[in-house]
Amino acid sequence: MAGIDKVDVALSILKIAIVVGALLNVTPIMVWVERRGSALIQDRVGPNRVGPFGLFQSLADAAKFFLKEDIVPAGANKWLYSLAPMFGLIPALTTIAVVPWGRPFRLPSGRLFEPIVADLNVGILLIFALASLSVYGIVTAGWASNNKFSLFGGIRSSAQMISYELALTLSAISVLMAAGSLRLTDVVWKQTGYFVLFDKIKLPAWNVFSPSMWLAFIVFSVAAFAETNRLPFDFAEAEAELVAGYHTEYSSMKFALFFMSEYIAMATISALITTLFLGGWDIPWVNEPATFWGFLASAIVFTIKVSVLMFIFVWVRWTIPRLKYDILMRMGWKVFLPLAFVNILLVAWFIAERWI
Amino acid sequence: MITYAVFFFFAAIAVIFALVVILHRNPVVGALSLVASFFALAVMYVLLEAPFLAALQVIVYAGAIMVLFLFVIMLLNLQRQPEEPTRPIQQFLGYVGSSAFGIGLVYYLSKYAVMELPSGPFLADARAIGVKLFEVYIFPFEAVSILLLAAIVGALVLSGRGVQTS
Amino acid sequence: MIPTQWFLILSAILFTIGVCGVLTRKNGITIFMSIELMVNAVNLTFLAYARQFHQLHGLIFVFFVMAIAAAEAAVGLAIFISLFHHRETIDVDEANLMRW
Repeated sequence: MAGIDKVDVALSILKIAIVVGALLNVTPIMVWVERRGSALIQDRVGPNRVGPFGLFQSLADAAKFFLKEDIVPAGANKWLYSLAPMFGLIPALTTIAVVPWGRPFRLPSGRLFEPIVADLNVGILLIFALASLSVYGIVTAGWASNNKFSLFGGIRSSAQMISYELALTLSAISVLMAAGSLRLTDVVWKQTGYFVLFDKIKLPAWNVFSPSMWLAFIVFSVAAFAETNRLPFDFAEAEAELVAGYHTEYSSMKFALFFMSEYIAMATISALITTLFLGGWDIPWVNEPATFWGFLASAIVFTIKVSVLMFIFVWVRWTIPRLKYDILMRMGWKVFLPLAFVNILLVAWFIAERWI
Repeated sequence: MITYAVFFFFAAIAVIFALVVILHRNPVVGALSLVASFFALAVMYVLLEAPFLAALQVIVYAGAIMVLFLFVIMLLNLQRQPEEPTRPIQQFLGYVGSSAFGIGLVYYLSKYAVMELPSGPFLADARAIGVKLFEVYIFPFEAVSILLLAAIVGALVLSGRGVQTS
Repeated sequence: MIPTQWFLILSAILFTIGVCGVLTRKNGITIFMSIELMVNAVNLTFLAYARQFHQLHGLIFVFFVMAIAAAEAAVGLAIFISLFHHRETIDVDEANLMRW
């Protein structure tokens, strides 16, 4: 390791603080968005008592979580019961380490500041690896609760997650083939150009605008819903069917941890969709300069893109009904996996014809 | 300096959780300890300058195979049956025999396997592995895909769902 | 940089623990997990030597070993499931129909 000095360490700590701080604040904001958004869609008002427009509702919820009694069910394996929420939270928080959230710029001292916590050579594989680890939180929670409903919810949800992980991985591979590298910074740099249509219209060269990746975009987005256990794929927590699935027996802070890990996983996967398909931090039609203001603008644009995607997550949740479990599994294996394969062939053809 | 600390820490984790696997009665705890051990091994692979294989280790072993193990243990409800302890003579011979084997192996390795450190960086990224895989090892690659197909068919038949009698 | 010998010794320790698990336990799943531990110890040895001699063949071999271990785990667990359905126990000492 060549030349890591104190300034590098300090900058890394700053980057980690920014990213983790942003992720931990996602939950209160998303709770508010979810409740007001669902009220908007369902033609009612939603929480509007606690503060203007109900903005402090999340604070009230957090206080409630702190003050509730922490129950451990009889016959439950105490260690695993307490560890399960952590298995869900750790992958959600660490995956964001390889996502670039702004344009690299030069500090006044000449040092290059890269707004990515860890620019690994195998960046995206870390995300897949940690996504496979998030299955353990659910399976352990379902089993350790000593409750048949929790066990069924846990097993179903983990079967769903590992099935859709395949579609997720394969659809991301087509993006990586086009970018020629596993690093997410390279994937974003490749999308900072322009497509020129009919010599007149200049489209930003985002992957979502390239016809070879439309299938991958659709498959990845659907698999993202399945990975985070959001409707229409939320059989694990299907209210009114499995009580509350794998987190039936959890109360107060442990339940809050599950809650948080779901929203943070949603934010991370939205960040991933943005990076792979929507151009990451690239501001459309603007060449960002390598200065601090360019970096700030690109970070703000990244946040806007991620927020739009997260609102779409909420929107879909309250619009589309839940899929039946066997239909869900059948679609995962018989529809989305073949579509992901077809997309790989399509991208390979485009690369061979040098259209990409 | 930090490299040595990381090596010793994760080597200790790998060994301790491996011991938990073979010594604990409950197979669920054993499976989760094996996951931790695989994770520590993935860190070892990173120290050996093979980050691609480290990620593959977590994806394949810790993320898929162990989930399969956990499914089987939980669905068959195996932790409810207390396992009878093995006969003392088998335990004694097993522990003594494997310890003798292990001590002999470690002794001879530390005496004869001294090698000088490799010079220069080792390029083990995805591109290099991909080139080797699709040029030199293309036949084993295709053969492994047929083997996986055979494994899928075998697992289906053994679990009784693949055979349809009309 | 860490000497290759240390990795070999770690791999030997893990392999021995795996052997011990196979020899002393009666639970079929635990025996299977000890076998996976042994396979991983061997993977570590392959990678240690691959780095030592700067050859990629070790890595490719580990790649194939992982794929084959996945196939083996699937089939092995299917065998355990059918054993369990017949005998209601996963104790390998009970699978003794061919005893003489």
